[in-house]
Amino acid sequence: MTTDQYRREYAEHLIEQCKKGHMTRRQLLVRASVFGLSATVAGQMLAACGGSEEETTGGGDSGMPDPVMGGTIKLIGPAPITDPDPVTIYDQGGIVLVYQFLEYLIDLDNSNGLKPKLAESWTPDETGSVWTFNLRQGVTFNDGSPFEAEDVITSIERVLDPANGSGALSQLSGVLSPGGARAVDQYTVEFTLDKPYADFPYMVSSGNYNTAILSRNYTGDIVKNPVGTGPFMLTDYVTKQKATFVKNPSYWGKDAEGRQLPYLDGMEYVMVEDNSAQNLQLQSGAVDVQPQTVFQGAQALFGDPNLRVDIYPGTGIREVAFNMNVEPWKDNKALRQAVAYCLDREAINQALYDGRSNLGYDTFWEPTVFPGSPASTPRAQDYDKAKQLLSDAGYPDGLDITLTHAKYLENPQYAQLIQDQCKPAGINVKLDQLSYEAYYAGDDADYYGTTPWLNAPMTITEWGSRPAPGIFAAAMLLPDAVWSSSHWNNPEWVSLFDQYQSTADEASRTDIAAQLSSIQQDDTPILLAFYITQLRTQKKNVYGIQGPGSFYCDLSQAFMTA
Amino acid sequence: MLRLIGRRLLLMVPTLILASMLIFALAEVLPGDVARSILGPYATQEQVDLLNQRLGADRPVYERYVDWAGGFVTGDWGDSLLFDEAVLPLVMRSLGNSLLLAGFALVLIVPTSIAVGVFAGLRRDSLLDRGITVSTLSMTVIPEFVSGVVLLYVFAVWLKWLPVTALPPSGSPFVSRFYYLILPAIPLMLLELGYIARMARVGTVQVLAMPYIRTAVLKGLPRRRVIFGHMLRNAMVPTVTVIGTQIGWLIGGLVVVEVLFAYPGIGNIMVQAAKNKDLPLLEASVLMVAILYMVSNLIADIVVALLNPRIRMGG
Repeated sequence: MTTDQYRREYAEHLIEQCKKGHMTRRQLLVRASVFGLSATVAGQMLAACGGSEEETTGGGDSGMPDPVMGGTIKLIGPAPITDPDPVTIYDQGGIVLVYQFLEYLIDLDNSNGLKPKLAESWTPDETGSVWTFNLRQGVTFNDGSPFEAEDVITSIERVLDPANGSGALSQLSGVLSPGGARAVDQYTVEFTLDKPYADFPYMVSSGNYNTAILSRNYTGDIVKNPVGTGPFMLTDYVTKQKATFVKNPSYWGKDAEGRQLPYLDGMEYVMVEDNSAQNLQLQSGAVDVQPQTVFQGAQALFGDPNLRVDIYPGTGIREVAFNMNVEPWKDNKALRQAVAYCLDREAINQALYDGRSNLGYDTFWEPTVFPGSPASTPRAQDYDKAKQLLSDAGYPDGLDITLTHAKYLENPQYAQLIQDQCKPAGINVKLDQLSYEAYYAGDDADYYGTTPWLNAPMTITEWGSRPAPGIFAAAMLLPDAVWSSSHWNNPEWVSLFDQYQSTADEASRTDIAAQLSSIQQDDTPILLAFYITQLRTQKKNVYGIQGPGSFYCDLSQAFMTA
Repeated sequence: MLRLIGRRLLLMVPTLILASMLIFALAEVLPGDVARSILGPYATQEQVDLLNQRLGADRPVYERYVDWAGGFVTGDWGDSLLFDEAVLPLVMRSLGNSLLLAGFALVLIVPTSIAVGVFAGLRRDSLLDRGITVSTLSMTVIPEFVSGVVLLYVFAVWLKWLPVTALPPSGSPFVSRFYYLILPAIPLMLLELGYIARMARVGTVQVLAMPYIRTAVLKGLPRRRVIFGHMLRNAMVPTVTVIGTQIGWLIGGLVVVEVLFAYPGIGNIMVQAAKNKDLPLLEASVLMVAILYMVSNLIADIVVALLNPRIRMGG
């Protein structure tokens, strides 16, 4: 079967699923994007499905005026921890900066679906283990050199080389090995994977932020030599103070009317560490946009008549892990479930996020945040059940446990809520609060065997957004995952997960997901009480910012009215 | 007098050596490691080891210390591990910024607090005196991050009288920097006002009770001459000593204020370096602050000696 035939069949399969009511229209769009079906084809598929339009999420640009050309937008956010290097960045400051002048093969859209960027289209073979990417033609780097397959290959090989220290390596290991990328011709790249992987496009999207496409001549100093294909060019970088950009006059992007992008003349990123100081600068009008607004302290922004806070369906989580290598969690499912039934998730959401986040029920397959996921079973607070489970677990008189967490973001408040809510069931939670640095520190000789976040008996770890449930699960639930705080090892789940990753057929995939989800929920290696909604704050006269909040702040179509 | 200065300067050398060793030792105990800070929690152990090796951070601590100290005294302060920059110009630039802010704050603090303290002392036990004592003391217990946020909200966001940032846009004339430093300087001023004013008040009250003041009053000198000619000079001795030691506190306050106002000073740099174990940067910035602290104490001692000849003789 040719690739085109295969794609046609896959499209028909999706339409079928949608017609039968097994998928919503939004789910269909996301899955179509993963398989590289173009927006036009996806539109035709939606029409074939019939039914009514669903609400779209993200952005608050209703009633958007006509674009205004020119002007400079000022962004505010934390400074990068080190001078940014796209190969190793992992923090918000670094990612927001790099995203302005570098691009990825694929971008995330406002609801974590995929949209073509430097790759125009992509297709898997029948097995899902060979993926072919067709690159955009006529793109040049801002130093004038052309963008070609060779740049993609060197960029991907660079993150696969352990000597370069890229965090993307952990995500790609077991999926793509060095030498797995090959240039078919000047504008076609073929990835031969280590195993079939249905979500591979996410791995080379902006969702895996170290895979930015750099020039083949990149030598490692992006700040002094900022060569990229993006809409802006870095002209000045003052460590810990600000970064200044001007528009890239030869940018390839055009808007729907064929106008040259970006609309803006330039942008500036102002680095301010302190969150309340950032909010004050926004309120005073000194800056225009805060890509990531933190819930704590955001109340004043919600009420400010000059500002607009946009809400995006974020997938960031606070993982509460039970370390199953140690007592009392080892081989004691009932005890883990008992804690799960103590939680009043609505109240937690209310207290931490003003009720604006989505609730989670201890599984990654949550349809409210990941379209296409099977329905999960809600878990309400139920002390009778919790006490029963506690007794089944061998602790009829309750027990003392320790919860370790960093003094970072809303973790201290969350830990406090868990402590309060567990008490009535007879579970006394002792809080062990560490500094952020201490929580993630470990012995030089054996980091993974000593660091508190992976070794304390019960922990809260903050995770940024991931675009698909499988990516979260692979990173923290597989027995060989290096970031597993729970050290969960359920062979049935592991073998199902293997099938899930290699299955392209949507019906069987949903079927497997349902089983994965119910095993995860039942076994309860980790508590997932919510998926954090993302906030982006901007002045009311700023429009057109794209991307699913926080890290990805695409200003190529942004503009300011007077 | 010169002997006093010479001896004090000599004493600074062992103090600095001890301080530099302490910083290295403390950084060893602190959690975290520099390669992990650069690569993030998601990098693998092998990747972190490789980078530590490249940075030389995997060598024994004494070896790194000897290397660093050798470089430091010969003017080679090394490169920051976090930032792609040499430590010496980075620290000097930041220190310059901090000195400007601290100096500006001192210019506001010293005359204001002395005036307030002397004023209260002259009206000892009046309602005004008690009002001043209580209000200045309460201000010293408000942390800078609280007063800073309140001031920012009132003057920058609400009234819009002062800028919200601590640095003018690039290309502005140098004088405009002071306008931008007014807001950051006020929290520092509030912090110090109480201490210095209290000392000035105590000094005034004590000196006023001295027989020579009574003599001056009784021989018919105008009040103004009594205060400025006889009282102030003697009342200022404890105040000057306190100002000297408060400079250390001022630098502590700078750390908070600089972070809040995103001001590129030495306090900001120190926090970053300490958090991420950037030892060359941490050592250099802490030592510069230590030198500053010692020099300001020395200057305070010299001023005290000039005010009080008995100390000069004893030196």
